[in-house]
Amino acid sequence: MQGIELVRIVVLVVFALNALLLLALIGGKAIHRRVTNAAERRRSAYIAVLSRHLALPDEDVKLGSRVARDPAFLDALIDVRNTVIGPEADALGNLVDRFGITAEASSRLDRGYLLTTRLRAAVTLAELADQSSAPVLIEHLSDRNPVIRIQCARGLGRIGWTPAIDAIVERFRDETPWVRSRFADTLVRFGRTATWPLVAYVKITHRFETEGPVTAVRTLATIGDDQAVKPLIEILAEAIDPEIRIATIEALGHLAGPLAIRPLRVCAHDEDWRIRAKSVAALGEIGDPAAAPALASALTDENWWVRRNSAAALADLPHGLVHLYEALESEDAFARDAASEALADAGAVLGARQRILDGEETSDDQRLIAFIDSQVTVTA
Amino acid sequence: MNAETSKRILVADDAETITSLLMTALETSGYEVTVTTNGVEAYEMGLDGGFDLVILDHLMPGLLGLEVIQRWREQGIETPVIMLSGVDDDHTVVASLDLGALDFVRKPFRLPELLARIRQRVN
Repeated sequence: MQGIELVRIVVLVVFALNALLLLALIGGKAIHRRVTNAAERRRSAYIAVLSRHLALPDEDVKLGSRVARDPAFLDALIDVRNTVIGPEADALGNLVDRFGITAEASSRLDRGYLLTTRLRAAVTLAELADQSSAPVLIEHLSDRNPVIRIQCARGLGRIGWTPAIDAIVERFRDETPWVRSRFADTLVRFGRTATWPLVAYVKITHRFETEGPVTAVRTLATIGDDQAVKPLIEILAEAIDPEIRIATIEALGHLAGPLAIRPLRVCAHDEDWRIRAKSVAALGEIGDPAAAPALASALTDENWWVRRNSAAALADLPHGLVHLYEALESEDAFARDAASEALADAGAVLGARQRILDGEETSDDQRLIAFIDSQVTVTA
Repeated sequence: MNAETSKRILVADDAETITSLLMTALETSGYEVTVTTNGVEAYEMGLDGGFDLVILDHLMPGLLGLEVIQRWREQGIETPVIMLSGVDDDHTVVASLDLGALDFVRKPFRLPELLARIRQRVN
């Protein structure tokens, strides 16, 4: 009997504990929902106050002195500020000063105990900081948390604090690919100011690093400053790492400086097929007709990817199609295939067939269709 | 009350910051403002007519701004529309103007400039 009684007690206790747990969960959810709803209501109320401030700038804003600590206010301020530009955005910037928002966020970033507090502080600074916050942002570029590092870089980019460029570039080596990529986005925001620090970084590091210099070269390409062409040519000549050379070739194609044609033509004969393939593609991107002979010669390359890129580049080049039509009669079967594929991709086959139907064909049209038909016959 | 008192404007945008700001600014200028945050609702409100101008976002839940204008035009509703959107690719801008939008304002925007455009279109 005692045994049965004991089992009953255990079952009751387990049941009671489960019930308590369920109640705690339901209660916790309800509390969370109430807190979230209250924050949402406060955010809406703040948006209304800020809207009124913009619509009626002569009226004083009535807000408590502790709003700098209220996440709902910070969200509202960031959202409204991202809605307008010009004097209205400046007016909201004045509120940032008046309520000491950046000072509060800097303090929380430095001394906050909870990660969520520090993350919010970093986002607040990234969105609302002015130049007075630059030292804190630079200091936290090496924060232990990657999101905070990214937000600090973003903030520095937003305020255009150029002394931060070197600090951000120097972090390339130690960062994960994700953070490095976000840092690169920030550097693009700095624009041409970042060109020389990036060039200097690549020149110093390309002998013993890969990922950092590759990101830096790609960033230079995105910034699009033609002053980078000459140093990139020098880097292409000096670098041994194929990844860095490939990134540099792509950047030179993107920057499209005519100075790059000669070194790219040299690279079109490199022993590494990846270098050759990227070089011919870059020559096509530059779009200078002077590159046509080098591209036509690459149609006979041993590597399919090089032949394909050369043919595609010729198809985009002014008067490049001439070389493709000529290649249809090449002794090299690979060159003939690459040329015909590029012509087909460029819509030349359809155009030729139509002109033949209309009785307006050219000798090139006849040559192309004869080649295509002969291929069909061979396949059949 | 000023000269614009009788003019009715529909603001259709799913961003609370936009609806709040425009409602406050337009009401302060004496317009009668109705707000919606949903494309379908905007379309239905527009069918009843009675609006002198619509400020229309493109990316809204329910229906896109472009679809709203297209459906109004198919129904013969010719209410003037100013598109206000963060999506400013050529296709959206050209399609909006082709469908009869009077203007296309990009977000973020200058408030006084938008208000001037609204005044010009409504009066």
